[in-house]
Amino acid sequence: MDIPYTVHARPDTGLYNAKVGIWLFLASEVMLFGGLFSSYIFLRVGADYPWPVHELNVTLGCINTVVLIASSVSVVWAWAALKMRQFGLYKGLMLFTVLCAVTFMVNKTFEYKAKFEHYAVKLTDGTILTGHLPHGYQIKFGEVNQLAMSIPLKTAAVGADPINYVLNHLDAGATPRFKTEDGKEITLDAATFAELKSAAIEKAKVAKQNTAGLKLTAVSPLSFTVGESDVFAYDASTMTFRDGTVAYGKLADDKMTIEVDGVDTRGVAVKEKSLAFDHRYLGEAWQKAFVANRDHLTVEFDKNYPTRDKTKSATFQKEAYFLHLESTTPPAAEGHGNGHGAEAHAPAAHGDGHGGHHPTVVLEKKDITFFSNFTPKLNTYYAIYFTLTGLHGLHVVAGALVLAYFLFFNGKMMREDPEHLANRVEVGGLFWHFVDLVWIFLFPLLYLL
Amino acid sequence: MSAATTHDPAHDHAHDHSHHEQAWIWKYVFSTDHKTIGIQYAITGLLFLLFGFFLMLLMRWSIAYPGVAVPGVEVIRSIPGVGFIFQEMFGRWLNADGSLNGELYNMLGAMHGTIMVFFGIVPLGFAGFVNFVMPLQIGTIDMAFPKLNMLSYWFFFISCVMMVVSFFIGTGPVQTGWTMYSPLASTTSIGVTNVWNHGHTWWLLAMVFNISASLLGSVNVVTTVINLRARGMSWMRMPFFCWAMFIVGFLLLLAFPPLEVAALLQLSDRVFGSSFFLPTGLMEGGRHLDISGGGSPLLYQHLFWFLAHPEVYVLILPAFAILSDVIPNNARRPLWGYKMMVYALLTLAFLSFLVWAHHMYLTGMGTMMSTYFQITTVLISVPSVILLTCLMISLWGGSIRFNTQMLFGSAFLPMFGIGGLTGLPLAFSFIDLALHDTYYVIGHFHYVVAPGTIFALFAGVYHWFPKATGRFMNDKLGKLHFWPSLIGMNLIFAPMFIQGMAGFHRRWYDGGKYFEQTAGFQNWSTTLTHKIGAFFGLNIPDNMLSLNIVMTFGAIVLALGQVPFIYNFWVSIKCGEKVKSDNPWDATTLEWATPTPPPHGNFVFDVNAHRGPYEYSAPSHPTDFFPQWETEHGKPKPDGSDASAKTGHAHAAHH
Amino acid sequence: MSDHVDPAELQKHVKKYIFIGLLLIFFTAVTVALSYVELPTHSLNIIVGMIVATFKAALVALIFMHLNHERPLIYKVLAFTAVFCFVLFVLFVMANSDPLVDHGFEKPLQSIEQATP
Repeated sequence: MDIPYTVHARPDTGLYNAKVGIWLFLASEVMLFGGLFSSYIFLRVGADYPWPVHELNVTLGCINTVVLIASSVSVVWAWAALKMRQFGLYKGLMLFTVLCAVTFMVNKTFEYKAKFEHYAVKLTDGTILTGHLPHGYQIKFGEVNQLAMSIPLKTAAVGADPINYVLNHLDAGATPRFKTEDGKEITLDAATFAELKSAAIEKAKVAKQNTAGLKLTAVSPLSFTVGESDVFAYDASTMTFRDGTVAYGKLADDKMTIEVDGVDTRGVAVKEKSLAFDHRYLGEAWQKAFVANRDHLTVEFDKNYPTRDKTKSATFQKEAYFLHLESTTPPAAEGHGNGHGAEAHAPAAHGDGHGGHHPTVVLEKKDITFFSNFTPKLNTYYAIYFTLTGLHGLHVVAGALVLAYFLFFNGKMMREDPEHLANRVEVGGLFWHFVDLVWIFLFPLLYLL
Repeated sequence: MSAATTHDPAHDHAHDHSHHEQAWIWKYVFSTDHKTIGIQYAITGLLFLLFGFFLMLLMRWSIAYPGVAVPGVEVIRSIPGVGFIFQEMFGRWLNADGSLNGELYNMLGAMHGTIMVFFGIVPLGFAGFVNFVMPLQIGTIDMAFPKLNMLSYWFFFISCVMMVVSFFIGTGPVQTGWTMYSPLASTTSIGVTNVWNHGHTWWLLAMVFNISASLLGSVNVVTTVINLRARGMSWMRMPFFCWAMFIVGFLLLLAFPPLEVAALLQLSDRVFGSSFFLPTGLMEGGRHLDISGGGSPLLYQHLFWFLAHPEVYVLILPAFAILSDVIPNNARRPLWGYKMMVYALLTLAFLSFLVWAHHMYLTGMGTMMSTYFQITTVLISVPSVILLTCLMISLWGGSIRFNTQMLFGSAFLPMFGIGGLTGLPLAFSFIDLALHDTYYVIGHFHYVVAPGTIFALFAGVYHWFPKATGRFMNDKLGKLHFWPSLIGMNLIFAPMFIQGMAGFHRRWYDGGKYFEQTAGFQNWSTTLTHKIGAFFGLNIPDNMLSLNIVMTFGAIVLALGQVPFIYNFWVSIKCGEKVKSDNPWDATTLEWATPTPPPHGNFVFDVNAHRGPYEYSAPSHPTDFFPQWETEHGKPKPDGSDASAKTGHAHAAHH
Repeated sequence: MSDHVDPAELQKHVKKYIFIGLLLIFFTAVTVALSYVELPTHSLNIIVGMIVATFKAALVALIFMHLNHERPLIYKVLAFTAVFCFVLFVLFVMANSDPLVDHGFEKPLQSIEQATP
């Protein structure tokens, strides 16, 4: 008792089951990627910042395009080989296809990794500095002598949890010795905190309060080093952790050290007056280099396109106002070339350990409005870039797994029922072509245009 | 029972032996048999309907009696085990005095909507019935991809578990309503650094699984209908049930992906800190959020409603599907206007993709687009009316058997009518601006799905129960189920229209108690309530708030009404009256040609569709029904040469 | 594709597939090159790029996915999908513009104020 039409087509529809199924599934996939591309348009049309063009690694993207096209050819060829019963050729081509998928994913990993290590910092005047943070960004808070916690009696989203939110930021080597309100000296850990917590709750219940308070005085001053995202708020003398625990002490350091490899002034009203060229930061020499580069490109643009409006040329805007820094000191004032070669390769291609190639700047916190590495958080472009390519990557992995399964586990079917296997390969191939088809649109939209 | 293929024990016995015995777990749990999967879906769906209804009872209590302890909380808390679960799910959020607060109300509201729509009605109405009935009705042995079918159920099961688990998460389940509108839903609460410890993240993940399950299921359904119809089962001989389910499959297939996109993007917003749905300069609690901005909350609404409008038809079409079998069968009349219904169905499905923004008039959509969406919205009411009218006319001149399923079926017609007609004003943006987010809207869609769809689902359960189990459900208990349900539903939902037009907002957890201007408002309905209350010695205030009490009373009646059903359902499996034939309702469609309950592989003879699905009371025929599988009165023809098949589909779907 | 295919016919198909693959690689190069050409507006670059991409996609769909000779049923399914996909693309964007007030995405509020007397 088998399901009919798994191998041969139903005469009136002319299709076997799996083919109907895969086309329906692909229709649904079209809607999935349609929704994502539609979001892309929506975000791009509504973007309030210059949409990045040629900002990704075009070379890697090109290689991946060729890899996918080659695998598309090989999978359809494998199907034809199987139809002609050339089993050796079929196996070779399937293996090639799967290897192409692996190559694609390896390239993708390099691309993603470079992005994760690269940062952008937005200054208060709209300037965006790109570069690497050699030590990450952390806030140092010292001379802490007191912790204040509040514990809600009712279950709530936020409650003091110093074990998970505070103590793990304590500087190495220090022991969290505290005096409680009753004068007892304790080492704060899960057990002692639980004890203190239940005592405080009992007290609050008696006093008919909604929240229980807990104050701990440090035996000797402590210092914390906290990643920015783990801090809820801070000022010169207090720091609030994400669990609501307040530490009283002194702010030691909240400056950010960045090796700058790019200055994007497109969001600034008067470009050459950008905060980045302040004497505390890049200084006058780089400002001169910026002006020289801009003037040079302006002359060139006027020569090449005399009738066009510079303000409407995204490319000009990008090349003239987004200065790429490739040495620790500004190049000679001739100003050739900054905007040219720098575009094509990913800024992070320089890698991590090349601090010497870029000027290092120490930014003050008051000048920073937002910073992020090149992840979905940075802006909507990177958000949709990672979502689209990530989802596409998942499809590549899924498709490769299916094809590898046909190759490695369907040997018996190949010998005994090659027609059935050919159907499977055709269906798997259809999915694979669809993945290629999506990439054909992804590549220009994200990498080129 | 001359016409039915009576159960042949010898044949059946031989049939059973052709299969090796399967272990219990493969037969009932990880089964690839469409009937088992259908029953799994249906029971899961019924349990979730009950659960969602329980959430609603808590909400209704808070609306009618804000600040008053929920009765019985202490009792539940004191039961070992149950008390712990209750405490972890709801109890920990209750006020110290046992009453509800806004926070819990929001959780209940969000989860009620989610569970009823995605975990109750769709699994029961679509997945349950389509899996059990559709392959039988088109005369095939199973779905096209049985393993995918099983996978679909287990994906769905994972999503169920995740959704229930989200109640136990540290910060509780979602609080943003079933629509999960951004930006509220895209930002994490300030204290939560671990986004995985947040019910909302779990909701989104659960939805990703739920959507995957739907996609697998709908690919399966559509493929099966296209490719596995039995010999002679041409498109226009297919029961309307299969047509409707076929179309629902398409709706799920093409409308769900945009929701998946929305869920993925919102997940990215929450987990990776992106700004898909967050505009520039967004503040929360007086401070700028640490986000880049540049996104748009409107994008979320577009993606969401692009799904959610077709989803409305995913909810309602299974009702029409079931009634297109139940009504002709019990009116003993052919379905009136079968072809017209099919074309109306196709039009409806097509238009349902073009109307979504009528949920978004209040977002300040451009006037041109608003006009466009008003036009399509009004247009889509035409096929809906055709479907309803055809069902009503099918009753004309019939000799109606008022068994339980027919009671539910006939109650569906006016109830859906009320729901549909009250929707018409909402199609116009100038009325919608006033009524948006009021109880009027709640009343409208609940009339469509609660006494509408759910009544039809009950009808379906009573109708196919004998085929699935070999036993009838008790008719007396069924009637005891029907009447309280009908009264309860109307007591709950009818006052909503009055309150809605008085401006009651749907998200007031205290039912409007603190909104003086609404509390002081009176009309005939409040006075009537007041006087009836006084007659029974109750002091019900003579203002709009009194209707809250009426609705809560209705909810309790409805709750009590479900007790006979639950009892009836479980007890009848083992102790119900046995069916005497394979075709106990004297029906015409192919599922009644199988042994009862249908074995693995379904049919014991080579099944053929010789005529349309609704040959009831055909003149010159000895009985008042002429089944699709009989060549002449009382004779199924196993050799299968069918000269009357007009179409060229003469190829066996059965091996 | 029908069940039985002539091997000689298939050999011809294979040659065609390889040719199409090379054509696709060529057009990839064209897309990349065109994206560096400064056309009068960047929108033009996008339009040209998308036309080339659509052409490539059509090649994949028609030749590799055999859509040049498929069964009518599949065309029907895809036709509906295409319509809904189009709706998904166009209406999302259009829903935010209002030709009566004639403002685009940039300055909705100011232009409403200007348009209202």
